[in-house]
Amino acid sequence: MARLNTRAITAGLVLAVLALIVLAPMAGLLNLSGIPGYEPGDLRFWQSSYIRRVLFFSLWQALLSMLCSVLPAILVARAFASQADFPLRGLLLRLFALPLVVPAVVAVMGVVSVYGSGGWISLGRSLYGLNGILLAHVFFNLPLAVRLLLPQWQTIPPHHWQLGEQLGMNAWQRWRFLEWPALREALPGVMLLVFMLCLTSFAVVLTLGGGPKSTTLEVAIYQSLRFDFDPAKAVVLALLQLSICTLVAIVTLRLQRLPEVEIALGSVSKPVAVRQKWLNTLLILAAGVFVAMPLLSLLIDALGGPLWQVIGTTRLWQSLVTTLFIGLFAALFSVAAGWFLLQYSASLSLAGKTSKAQLIDLAGSIVYVVPPLVIGSGLFVLLSPHFDVFAWVYPIVIAINAVMGLPFVIRSLGPALRQNHARYHYLCQSLALQGWNRFRYLEWPLLRQPLGLAAALVAALAMGDLGVIALFGTPHSATLPLLIYQQLGAYMIPQATVTALLLLVLSLTVFWGLERVIGGKTDA
Amino acid sequence: MYKVLRFFGGTLLALSLSFAAQAVTPTLVVYTYDSFTSEWGPGPQVKTAFEAQCACSLELVGLEDGVSMLNRLKLEGGNTRADLLLGIDTSLTAEARASDLFEAHRMTLQKSSLPQPWQDDLFLPYDYGYFAFVYNKERLDNPPTSLRQLVADEQGPTILIQDPRTSTPGLGLLLWIKKVFGDESDEAWARLSKRIVTVSKGWSEAYGLFLKGEADMVLSYTTSPAYHLIAEQDARFAAARFSEGHYQQIEVAGLVRSSQQKQLARDFLEFMLSDSFQSIIPTTNWMYPATLVHTKLPADFDQLIDPSPALLLNEELVASKRKSWVDDWLEVMSR
Amino acid sequence: MLEIKQLEFAYTTEAAPTMQFNLSVAAGEILSLIGPSGSGKSTLLNLVAGFLAPSAGQILLDGIAIETSSVASRPVSIVFQQHNLFPHLDLYTNVALGVDPSLRLSHEQVDTVAAALDQLGLSDLQRRKPGELSGGQRQRVALARALVRKRRILLLDEAFAALGPALRAELIEVVKKLVRDNNMAALLVSHQPRDALLASARTAFICAGKITALEQTGDLLDHSQLVEVRDYLGLV
Repeated sequence: MARLNTRAITAGLVLAVLALIVLAPMAGLLNLSGIPGYEPGDLRFWQSSYIRRVLFFSLWQALLSMLCSVLPAILVARAFASQADFPLRGLLLRLFALPLVVPAVVAVMGVVSVYGSGGWISLGRSLYGLNGILLAHVFFNLPLAVRLLLPQWQTIPPHHWQLGEQLGMNAWQRWRFLEWPALREALPGVMLLVFMLCLTSFAVVLTLGGGPKSTTLEVAIYQSLRFDFDPAKAVVLALLQLSICTLVAIVTLRLQRLPEVEIALGSVSKPVAVRQKWLNTLLILAAGVFVAMPLLSLLIDALGGPLWQVIGTTRLWQSLVTTLFIGLFAALFSVAAGWFLLQYSASLSLAGKTSKAQLIDLAGSIVYVVPPLVIGSGLFVLLSPHFDVFAWVYPIVIAINAVMGLPFVIRSLGPALRQNHARYHYLCQSLALQGWNRFRYLEWPLLRQPLGLAAALVAALAMGDLGVIALFGTPHSATLPLLIYQQLGAYMIPQATVTALLLLVLSLTVFWGLERVIGGKTDA
Repeated sequence: MYKVLRFFGGTLLALSLSFAAQAVTPTLVVYTYDSFTSEWGPGPQVKTAFEAQCACSLELVGLEDGVSMLNRLKLEGGNTRADLLLGIDTSLTAEARASDLFEAHRMTLQKSSLPQPWQDDLFLPYDYGYFAFVYNKERLDNPPTSLRQLVADEQGPTILIQDPRTSTPGLGLLLWIKKVFGDESDEAWARLSKRIVTVSKGWSEAYGLFLKGEADMVLSYTTSPAYHLIAEQDARFAAARFSEGHYQQIEVAGLVRSSQQKQLARDFLEFMLSDSFQSIIPTTNWMYPATLVHTKLPADFDQLIDPSPALLLNEELVASKRKSWVDDWLEVMSR
Repeated sequence: MLEIKQLEFAYTTEAAPTMQFNLSVAAGEILSLIGPSGSGKSTLLNLVAGFLAPSAGQILLDGIAIETSSVASRPVSIVFQQHNLFPHLDLYTNVALGVDPSLRLSHEQVDTVAAALDQLGLSDLQRRKPGELSGGQRQRVALARALVRKRRILLLDEAFAALGPALRAELIEVVKKLVRDNNMAALLVSHQPRDALLASARTAFICAGKITALEQTGDLLDHSQLVEVRDYLGLV
């Protein structure tokens, strides 16, 4: 029991810090009524059809985007799992990490380059509406979902594949009896994550949405905090968003089923030759092309631009280093926080307290939906009376990005950590293998891969972040996304494209590096 | 032994002297917007020029845009480090005034190139611009010649605009239409909406989409073509001249009440109105300098359209009506 | 009835020697396969089941070659050491899958499943899930499924390894009856020489990919003169 208590304490600490970072700023904003020039908004807002429409549209586009991203992702992940020897498989999977990194505004440009009036597959003006929103969201989230779901195929025991073949199962039956049960642990979480990402997506919806018909809650929050300067309304809207997501999360996580019998020991499951090899190849290629096209257009634009001029500036390299620094530290803290939370959650699972375990997962995941703008502004209110906030930009940016990255850690590391714990905990207890030794000899070797993916995901996210860093004054060194945004705002679109390309290259390198260094060499 | 002591003693002395010197050099903190502080904006040159004459250190803090700046100031209240706010525009001045965070500059505007006389005792202008619809001459050879024509012509060019809830030019267009159409603004928007390709979050997105050829025209500034002309030697872009006139955006600076460096701040304001600051503006901020005579503008600025008459709504009116106007706009656009 | 003639196989991954197997199993007989780990016992079963394709040789059932048939069409049922059952399905369904993976069973087929469950003493448990059963019960379910499939060849890949001696003996009796009543040919891989004694009249010793001995079980276990056999069994 002593072990459980240590875990409970560390998890409790992490949750306390999370609550502080997320809730305290909101409280700070709510407390602002005393300042001059502040007039609380009137109640008519809450009863108007505007807010109802906004709410409906936010949820509708998020749900639709989620379904359009995750359902194909299941098929694509399945295709990847079946074709273990597909050429360039590793490269394609790395490619799938890129959309996460691209700042939204750059991605929008990429999508427009491909599907806009002057694009390769022109949709003309019909791009601007739900079509455009879905395209951009699928571009962002399908690859992510594929990477999060693919490892689940590894949990299917090879014997099950063999039995399936012997019993004469067709593809549908294989799905029903073998694959679907393996996904049931991870899928609800992935759906929740993608839903949250689409719900809080801002620039994409606003720019590709075509007009105010496509307003989401995020826009309303942004508007109330910035233009109306009504912090109370902003906080209430943020809490509304948070509550809705919590409800959605509770529903989805209820659907989560933990596997009833533990999985095969470490063996890589190579499914027996699937007859639809051509269909799988087509799926993989289609997904690859879909994801690559906007990135390719970016590459082409950038290479045609002032490449050397941009590379030659010191500002670029300073920004690059800062970006790298923020990305790596955010990854470190996020993974560490996630680790402690998940350890506690896993021990609760083992003890049969699954609802409590899910609650922890939920807490870690839900923090994503509080807009960084709200957190940032709230932090200003709380902290600026006490010290110069601008001097603390980097720690604050890293902290907020680490919090934003937490849901990704939980999704990518969670299932593996829970299974590892379930399988080995009693053994470790009987051997008195705990703490650092346990980590070094047991958890590190077996959990390296998901740890690597988790770290890489958070790093990519933090490096591409624009929302958090833009809140703060830019000291001498900006980050690459901020530099891109500045260039875009100063007519320097060709330069911005080049900088965006460099950001992509940096992120790809870091992603690959982290996966390799932490995750070790694999053929996955 | 003696040598070591001397070395340490000397170092300590030098260090303390430099600290003392730092303590003597005051720092002036100016909140401004991002593009001002960027490498290619006015910031670096302004910093060099001012520090040369003030025996101080100028710290420019870049905060996204005008709205963020003002909000940040409001959030920080009396604890702010800022001595000056530089970069809010006339659609925000009423709000800024109401916040009670600014102090009278107590200066007079000696010369001004603004079309109207300047009467604000709290804020001083440093540059201004006019909103206009920019187009590519190779793609559109018959641009509309008035706002009414743009709105009325069903077969007219497609346009890209920004959202008034999140962007200053977006708000600018809203006010422009309100000034020209008055009570008929809603119908004007209803007719115009058919030709709007998309309403973007900010100026960058809309301009970027325009350059990609997604629409015939984009809402931007009359000075936008100057950038392409001067920096890119690209003469394809022009602004459409509207007979009713163009809505004006005047950018101002204000002295923060809680500043500890008021004298230095006022020195900066004076510097801001002087030629050495003003001549930096045209090719870094791409706006018209407020006190610089037209003859001192870069030659290529002659090719820009004449935006007169300058249209501007009273700031108190804007402050009180803005929300309901935006709500009306939302109503029309959501149909 | 089951003949394996010059069956050859080599793993491509390691620099592995080619394995070669020759044996025959009569109808109603259980042939035990013993030998050190990695010697090729499971490989042989995989070859018979069709999970691996041989590079040369034949597998004949009643004179008909089956080595080129697809896995599903081979007259083979296999029981593994673990992971025989689908954990989220109840016992009844797990067994029913053996009849038809679409789970659309005719009345007769339903009766067959019920009979199999009954024969193995599982009727009371048929609505339970594998996670609620003991290891022995789970292996019974696997055997029930093999029973309903009515295939001529039964392969047992260390199927009883995780069970205690009494349970093992009991299940071996069940298998023997199964094989006798249904005229099956069975191959039993085990690490326990006692299993071979209980189950088989004849036992084969596999070492380094070859069958180095094939004789009466008692003779092999007690009186073998081969060094590798004696080493394996721990005889001095």
